[in-house]
Amino acid sequence: MKKRNSILFYLNGKRHEIHAHQAGLMLSEYLRYHLFLTGTKVVCAEGDCGACTVLRYFPYSNSKSKNLFLPINSCIATVAQLDGSSLVTIDALTDMTPVQKAMVTCHGSQCGFCTPGFVMALHGLVEKKISTAKPAPIKIQEAKNALTGNLCRCTGYQPILDAAKNINLSECESLAEKFLTPAQIRELRSTIKIPLQLTSPEFSFYAPTNLKDASRFLAKNKSSCILGSATDLGVLHNKQKKQLTQVLSLHLIENLYKIEKVGSGRMRVGARITLTELRNKMKALIPEFATFLDLFASPQIKNVATLVGNVANASPIADTPPFLMTLNTVLEIQSPKGIRFVPIENFFLDYRKTNLKSGELIAALHFDIPKKSDSLAAYKVSQRKDLDISAVNFAARVIWKNAQQNQIKEIFLSVGGVAAVTLRLSKTELIFKNKTLTPELFESALTQLHQEIQPLSDLRASQQFRHVVVENLFLKFFREKSHAQTP
Amino acid sequence: MHKPHDSAHLHVTGQSEFVDDRIRMQNEVFIEVIYSPHAHAKIKSIDSSRARQLCGVEGIFFGQDFHENLWGTIFRDQPLMATSEVNFAGEVIALVAATSPAIAAQARKLIQVQYEILPAILTIQDAISQESFIAGSRKIERGDVTHALKSSPNQLQNNIIIRGADHFYLESNVAVAYPKEDGQIEIHSSSQHPSEVQHVVSHGLGLPSKNITCIVKRMGGGFGGKESQAAPIAAYAALVAHKLNRPARIVLTKDDDMIMTGKRNPFENTYQVGFDDNGRILALDAQLFSDGGAYADLSTSIMERAMLHSDNAYYIPHMRVVGQVCRTHFHPHTAFRGFGGPKGVAMIEKIIEEIAHALKMDPLDVRKINCYDNHERNTTHYDQKVENNCLPKLFSDLESECQYRRRRKSIDEHNQLAIRTNLSVLKGISLTPVKFGISFTTRFLNQANALVIIHRDGSLQVSTGATEMGQGVNVRIAELLSTELGLPRTQVRMMPTSTDKNANTSPTAASSGTDLNGAAALLAVRRIKSRLSALALKLFEIPESRWARHTAGLGTEAEISVPNSIETNDPNAHADWNSGIASFSDIQFQDGHVFHKDNPQKRISFHSLIVEAYHNRISLSEYSHYKFPGLSFNKLTGKGDAFLYFTQGVACSEVSIDRDTGETKVQRVDIIMDLGRPINEALDLGQVTGGFIQGMGWVTSEKLFYKDGLLLSHAPSTYKIPSIQDTPREFNVRLFNNNENRPNVRGTKAAGEPPLLLCISIWTAIHDAMKHLPNYRQAYPTMELPATNEEILKALYPEKFKRWNTP
Repeated sequence: MKKRNSILFYLNGKRHEIHAHQAGLMLSEYLRYHLFLTGTKVVCAEGDCGACTVLRYFPYSNSKSKNLFLPINSCIATVAQLDGSSLVTIDALTDMTPVQKAMVTCHGSQCGFCTPGFVMALHGLVEKKISTAKPAPIKIQEAKNALTGNLCRCTGYQPILDAAKNINLSECESLAEKFLTPAQIRELRSTIKIPLQLTSPEFSFYAPTNLKDASRFLAKNKSSCILGSATDLGVLHNKQKKQLTQVLSLHLIENLYKIEKVGSGRMRVGARITLTELRNKMKALIPEFATFLDLFASPQIKNVATLVGNVANASPIADTPPFLMTLNTVLEIQSPKGIRFVPIENFFLDYRKTNLKSGELIAALHFDIPKKSDSLAAYKVSQRKDLDISAVNFAARVIWKNAQQNQIKEIFLSVGGVAAVTLRLSKTELIFKNKTLTPELFESALTQLHQEIQPLSDLRASQQFRHVVVENLFLKFFREKSHAQTP
Repeated sequence: MHKPHDSAHLHVTGQSEFVDDRIRMQNEVFIEVIYSPHAHAKIKSIDSSRARQLCGVEGIFFGQDFHENLWGTIFRDQPLMATSEVNFAGEVIALVAATSPAIAAQARKLIQVQYEILPAILTIQDAISQESFIAGSRKIERGDVTHALKSSPNQLQNNIIIRGADHFYLESNVAVAYPKEDGQIEIHSSSQHPSEVQHVVSHGLGLPSKNITCIVKRMGGGFGGKESQAAPIAAYAALVAHKLNRPARIVLTKDDDMIMTGKRNPFENTYQVGFDDNGRILALDAQLFSDGGAYADLSTSIMERAMLHSDNAYYIPHMRVVGQVCRTHFHPHTAFRGFGGPKGVAMIEKIIEEIAHALKMDPLDVRKINCYDNHERNTTHYDQKVENNCLPKLFSDLESECQYRRRRKSIDEHNQLAIRTNLSVLKGISLTPVKFGISFTTRFLNQANALVIIHRDGSLQVSTGATEMGQGVNVRIAELLSTELGLPRTQVRMMPTSTDKNANTSPTAASSGTDLNGAAALLAVRRIKSRLSALALKLFEIPESRWARHTAGLGTEAEISVPNSIETNDPNAHADWNSGIASFSDIQFQDGHVFHKDNPQKRISFHSLIVEAYHNRISLSEYSHYKFPGLSFNKLTGKGDAFLYFTQGVACSEVSIDRDTGETKVQRVDIIMDLGRPINEALDLGQVTGGFIQGMGWVTSEKLFYKDGLLLSHAPSTYKIPSIQDTPREFNVRLFNNNENRPNVRGTKAAGEPPLLLCISIWTAIHDAMKHLPNYRQAYPTMELPATNEEILKALYPEKFKRWNTP
């Protein structure tokens, strides 16, 4: 099959073809130092401050929505992975959009270094708002949610919130109309059907259009790494100067962009489903999951980061695995030989070690859609409430035996941040299984709970803190979700 | 609607130029730093041979490459680069210059340094026990403290542990140096103090100051962090540019910046206080220790300000405050918004809370009874009278506006219910004041100069020593000047701060940027204005056909001459107090026109007047110098007027804390600030909300985590400044109407630092939330500052924390 040997994207409406020698750059570097578009700023180079925010359209990600442009962090996005995208940066918005006007009149900028990022993130929100007919004015909480990924150290955010509130939506022109023509969409759509192979001495990048080719490539090239959305790899590249030399990208595999109900009460989430898309789908099906997804990471991250990536990374403080463990999650793993299924508990072997074998990659996750009568919750505790790495995260689900909700049929308890891997607290679960909740039961469960976890002290929290918090969250769950008397 | 920041339209379109936005030149080199990961070590060897072999590496430089490898703002005690011994983790040892950032980064990894690790002092307590100090101990004392303490009906003693904080300016330290002909260097730096950059480079390279020009266009935030510590970074760029005779750029990553540069000084203060049964403080004996880090930097001045603010808003008849800076093996701590002020204020506000707790009083009543008044209890412990004191009024206004008493009652009821019924959320409320002294406490720094140029089209270029870091000093000065001349603000362009125009300047710091530089610029404009007024008066007497623009070419008319200028150091001299605008010979400047007040119909456009002035050979440029009057503070006696005036304010914060997780949510904040007569109210409000939220981070979520002296929380992933979600659900800010700040230019008051100190109300509100718990009915809760969720949880469950403290 024919392969392309250059990246194609549109930037501010202009066509860019980029070859291997520049494809390994981070987009922000490419913008600032190769195109001299210095409006986009870099502060943290790890996706935590939003100064580098740009907007991105990608055909497979936004196919059903009218909202085409989503904010992403350009500091941790390789040029290569933006193949097939259309991008808009601050540099194109020179004639004072209503967003910019509101930022000026409400004094939303002081030093100005974070401002381009805020403007772009607000534009992301505006694009979403005006994609519906007769949009209501921006509410404060809406603005806060859209700007969680943007740090400002000058204003105390108050003037920025004022600006958001005062954006005149009726004057807002869709950026898609301005920067993305139907012809461009057609070109991008047809281009991404063709696999991509970039090769240079420093950087080789392969993006097949089907899963089989991907797993064959992995089996043959053992030193290659899978680049999902680079929200972690990008950070490693920037901070530890990890050279991305041989990269496999799944972004052209259309099959992986599926999220669907399968069988009786199960979800299947493809490997390219972002946390934003997942959240939107979960809103109706598992609202607790949606609420939890609101709490971590930023819109910029969630617009590119995938659920599968969050699992595959095998970090003990990853946010979704505890919740997934309470949902009987199974990984669908593809290899050149075929597909195998692995329960998530068996997937994590050790700190950042998984049972993926050579040539294998995760195609999808399958998990329960709990019944309305189940109780479930996920908690995350971190130094700062939003956009922070967890010190502890905890998830629980109870399937009740009775309507009074004090007799347990089945229980799932899972906790992150207290061991080398995300833990399923199976011994503690055993204490509860088929039991009626009593104070004595809680006592023995607590004793077991503390034995099952092995927290360490680190920069996020001490081991004492983690012990106390796990215990508190465990009790909080029952206090909030059951009718039992908790200690 | 107030006028926006002069750069706002550029900021929102990404067009404002920051240092690293300067397009790279083709022969430019990029610098990476090599620093010590150890807090204290001997450098045994440095092997840079592998790095040198790398294609594109143009040079590797060490401390020995400097002509004088030493700098320091107050004491010249710090090497620009360590040569034989490192004294903090993050201390720079070498620079590598390469043709691209990627090559420089690769080369950095190839440089091998061998260390012999030495014992390090990493706590204030260790420094005290080893008598590792920077400079001597200082004392400010009034009355007979020992006797007054002894005779007080009630006494308590305790301590407060205050941690540091990172500035987290969005733009990390950066500099670009261009070598120019004849041994000159032009440096573009993100510095609050271009004069110091110039001096450090000049000294470091052994070049006269006339060869060094430092230019600061704007900073992406400074907050004090770029007052002193931008200078060595700029010196690195200058060294490389000088040695290689090529442009050199250094752009620190956020991680390197946070590891290398100093923070807000940690403090550990102990105190003993005597008070009567009404909660009135009779005597205070306080000992302040700060962690200065490895070198002096500004720590002694910061300590001085902490000592001068240990009274905050309260009259303390007998008071002794002793301060000592400790030398440790941390990055040299430095200025940060509030300087030492917050560390003195946090202590006295904690003392107030403890007194209230001991007497079962509402802390607000204890505050009010101790507050400075306008009669007898209005002299500070350093003998400065608190003039035009608005604190009592601010207290009573806010108390009623935020419905403090009603909310206090409902919060107390909620907490009692929560404790009885095991609800996880506790609430707390606290109302604290600030009285912040405006001036550098080092007298000679309180001077500024300004250059004002009026071009022949009537537009102005203004250069001052003030640097723009977002605070809006440029726009304030531009507004002062354009108002004075009756012109639209857009007719004034504020030029980049440059040492070839404004020399011997002070840092833009101590909140005084507008006060000093605005006054200097206004004096310059007034001098031109007085000449223009005299000219206008004469022009109105002769027919227009005889004006110089028609006649000067042929020289057919006698030239008009006017007195050269006015002599004054008072920016309010000649000015009408209410408008702040001066007039000379009753000539008015309004709406781009000039006229006599008795005959407004007969007018000349500002532009025409300028043309006339030029043709009559009247100078259209002026250079002025200004100094704050009346500063008499004597550092040796600890007595005298340390400040030109005080900025005051009050804040009431309501918080909730989650007993399961220790998480804090600031629910509501109400602030009233006295900022005199603001030049631009919107910008002032921005300073208030911004300063307050920055302070909120310091007292809640911002935790610097060190391992053996090396900072591990060196990026926003691990160092958590407030996010937009952390802002109070309800945030009311109002400015107090005070028209009487007569000492300062136009009656305005400095707004930069004072609002930050109001964040203490959040910290005390968190304590307040715990006061009903059985543990704390007697004892006052003990928490460090910041009250992180771990700190809060520890205070909530001390026994559990002990239990799980297993190796």
